[in-house]
Amino acid sequence: SAPGLERPQVVSHVQQSLSYTVFDCKWVPRSARLLCLGSAARGTGVVQLYELRGARLELLREIEKPKPMKCGTFGATSLQQRYLATGDFGGNLNIWNLEAPEIPVYSVKGHKEIINSIDGVGGLGIGEGAPEIVTGSRDGTVKVWDPRQKDTPVANMEPVQGESKRDCWTVAFGNAYNQEERVVCAGYDNGDIKLFDLKTMSLRWETNIKNGVCSVEFDRKDINMNKLVATSLEGKFHVFDMRTQHPTKGFASVSEKAQKSTIWQVRHLPQNRDIFMTSGGSGSLHLWKYEYPAQRSKKDSEGAEMGVAGSLSLLQNVTLSTQPISSLDWSPDKKGLCVCGAFDQTVRVLIVTKLNKI
Amino acid sequence: MPVWLREHRWHQTLTTLYLSLPLRGARATPANIFCTERYLKVSIPPFLFEAILYAPIDDTSSTAKIRNGNIFFTLYKKEPAMWDSLTVENADKEKLQYIRENAVLKAQERAKEETEAKKVTKQEHKNYALEATMKLEEAERKRIEDLKEKERQKVTKELELWKNQQKEADKYKSIQKEGDLNKEIWQLKERKNEKMNKTMIPNEGTFKTKLKPTKGHGSSSMFSQNLKEEQIPAPRSAATIKVNFTPRVFPTALRESRVAEEEEWLHKQAEARRTISADLSELEDLKEEEKNPDWLKDKGNKMFAMGNYLAAVNAYNLAVRLNNKLPLLYLNRAACHLKLRNLHKAIEDSSKALELLTPPVPDNENARVKAYVRRGTAFCQLELYTEGLQDYEAALKIDPKNKNIEKDAEKIRYLIQGTMQGS
Repeated sequence: SAPGLERPQVVSHVQQSLSYTVFDCKWVPRSARLLCLGSAARGTGVVQLYELRGARLELLREIEKPKPMKCGTFGATSLQQRYLATGDFGGNLNIWNLEAPEIPVYSVKGHKEIINSIDGVGGLGIGEGAPEIVTGSRDGTVKVWDPRQKDTPVANMEPVQGESKRDCWTVAFGNAYNQEERVVCAGYDNGDIKLFDLKTMSLRWETNIKNGVCSVEFDRKDINMNKLVATSLEGKFHVFDMRTQHPTKGFASVSEKAQKSTIWQVRHLPQNRDIFMTSGGSGSLHLWKYEYPAQRSKKDSEGAEMGVAGSLSLLQNVTLSTQPISSLDWSPDKKGLCVCGAFDQTVRVLIVTKLNKI
Repeated sequence: MPVWLREHRWHQTLTTLYLSLPLRGARATPANIFCTERYLKVSIPPFLFEAILYAPIDDTSSTAKIRNGNIFFTLYKKEPAMWDSLTVENADKEKLQYIRENAVLKAQERAKEETEAKKVTKQEHKNYALEATMKLEEAERKRIEDLKEKERQKVTKELELWKNQQKEADKYKSIQKEGDLNKEIWQLKERKNEKMNKTMIPNEGTFKTKLKPTKGHGSSSMFSQNLKEEQIPAPRSAATIKVNFTPRVFPTALRESRVAEEEEWLHKQAEARRTISADLSELEDLKEEEKNPDWLKDKGNKMFAMGNYLAAVNAYNLAVRLNNKLPLLYLNRAACHLKLRNLHKAIEDSSKALELLTPPVPDNENARVKAYVRRGTAFCQLELYTEGLQDYEAALKIDPKNKNIEKDAEKIRYLIQGTMQGS
C-alpha cells in the first residue's frame, strides 16, 4: 500500500544471538561500536563490545566481572575518554576504561541493593556543568555521584526515617542548560514520579501515575526542560509538558495506551526531540511523534499559568520478538540507527528510514 | 387404474426408430418421460404408456419432441438391425417387472453419476479460482517485499559509507591530536610571557566543535583535558533530600488492573482481625471502631506521643483483650509502663512481646531490639544490673551499629564493676 510505505520503516539490519541475558545495550559515542551488558548463566557480569561490520556484528572484546551488570551509561564521560559507568546487581557503581578494564577508574558500593537504572550528564560535549552520574536502586534511594569525589554521593534522595521503602526503577537527568541548573527525575514501582531540583536540593514536583513507572526520559538533557516521557506497567505512557508548572496541578500531560503489556523503555531520537520510540513487553517497538498544541500554556480561572498538552501520533510499529525488549538506544551519530536488546538473548541493530521527511 | 395410451404409431430405419404418441389432450413435460436402454415410459396421470423395447437403444442420444399434443420420439438403436416389433411380445409379467425395476435402477445410477461429475467439475473450478487469487496476492506481497528490500539495501550502503567516514575521521583525529598537543605546550609557554594571540583552528570535517568563550580568552575547545577542567565547577556540596512515598501496603509494584483485588484482600484482612466473639458483653457498648485492635493501637500511640500514658495503657489493654496475639501492643504498653515507672509490668510486657516475636527474622528486628532495650531499662531501674546488661547485649547483637545501646551497655558494665569493687 503506497501511503503505508511513505511512513518510516523499521528495518532489521543485524541480529546477534548472545549466550547471556542482556539487560542494557548502548552505542559507543562517535563510533560504529556498541556495548551489551548483562548477566551470564553462572551469575557473573558480562560486558561485550561489538563493532558493526557490513551485515554482521564482530565481537571486539569481552569482559567478565563478579557481579551481573544491570545498566550502563556514557553520559558523564568525555569524548576522548569514553569511560563506561555501570550499575550492577550488588549495588556497586563502577566506571571502566574499556581499554584497561581490569581495575575500575572509580568504584563505590553505592547502594544496598541492585542498581536498577543509571544516567549520566555533563559529558560527551553535551550540556554544561560538572559531569555527574545518578543511580536509582531497589533500596529506595536515588544518589548522584561526581566521579571526582570518592565514596560519598553529592546528593542523596532517601526515604524519610521509618518510611517503608519503594523500589526506584528509573532515573533521568534533565534541565542541564547551564552550569548551575540540573534536575533528576525518578520513577518508582508504586507509580510515583518525583522531580528533584539539584540546584535548590529540594523536591520540585511529584505525581503518581497509578502504575509502576518503568522508564523516564527528558527529550533533551541539556536544554530548559521541555518534555518528559514516563512509561509504565499496563501498556501506558505519559508525556508531560515541562515548560509550565502550575502551583497545584503540576505539569500538563497526555497519555496513551499502546498495548496491553509493560512498556519497558522510552528513548528520544537524538536528532529530533519530538520523535521517540517505546519498547514493549510483547517484543514490539512503537515509533511516536509528539505534536505541540497551538498554545503551549494558558491561564486558569485564578490567572495562574498552566501548560497545555499536545497530541501523539503513532508513526510505525513493528514486532521483533516474542520476549520483552528491555533496552533500546539510538546512535547519536547516525540518524535512525538504533540497537535494542531483548530477553530472548538477542541484540538487534535496526535502521529506521525516512525520518528526514517527518 | 391408469388409462393406457395405445394409439401410438412407429416406423424404423436400420439405425433409428421413430415413434409418435398422441396424448389425447394431456399436457406433457420432460418430467413425464422416463427412458432407459430397454424401457420407455410416459406417465401423465391418469394416462400411461409403457414399452419394453425389442432391442436396446442408446438412451443418452435419443430425443423426444413434445408438440401439438403428440410426443415424437427419435430413438437410436444400439445395434443397427430391423426390429420385428416395437415391443417385446409374449413377455411374461415377471420379466416385465424385472426389466422395469432394472430400468429404474439404471436411471438412478445415471443420475448419481451425473451429480458426482457435476461436483467434481465444481470443485475443479473452485480450486482454479483459489489458485488464481493466491497468485495475485503473492504478486502483491512480492512487490512490497521488493520495495522494502530496496530500502534496506540503500540504507545499508549509507551505513557503510558513514562508517568509513568515521574511520577516516578517527585517523585524522589521532594525527591531529598529536599536532594539537605540541601546539598547546607551545601556547602555554607563550601565554606565560605575553598576551593571547589568535591560534589556527584546524578544520575537523565531520565533527561538531563548540566554541566556548572562557574567562577573558577567545580560544577553541580543542584543548586538552587538563585545561578544560578549569572550566568545570567543583563537585556539588553533598546534601540529602528526604522523600515520602505514596503509601502502599503491598511490596509489589502498583498495577491499575490489580487495585480492586488488593482492596478486597485488605478489607478481608481487616475483618478477620476484628473479634467476632459475643462473650464480652461490654463490647456492645463500644463503637464500631473501638472494636478494632489496630485503631486502638493507633489511639494508644497518639496518647503516648501526647504524654497521656494512662490513657495509652487503657487503649492497649482493650486492644489486648480483643486480640492478644499482636506483639506490638505489648511492646508499646511496656514503653508506657516504663514512663509510669511500673517496672515489673514493663518487664512482663516486654517478655510477652519477645515471646510473640518468634521466629527471629530480619522483619521484626526493630521490634525485638526495642523489646530488649525496654526490658533492659526496666531491670536497670530495679537495680538488677546483670539482667539488664544481658538484655542490652542481646539488643546489641541484633543491631550492632546502634551507638546509643552501646553507650548504655558500657555504662551498665561500669556500674556493675563499681558495685562489685565496692562490696
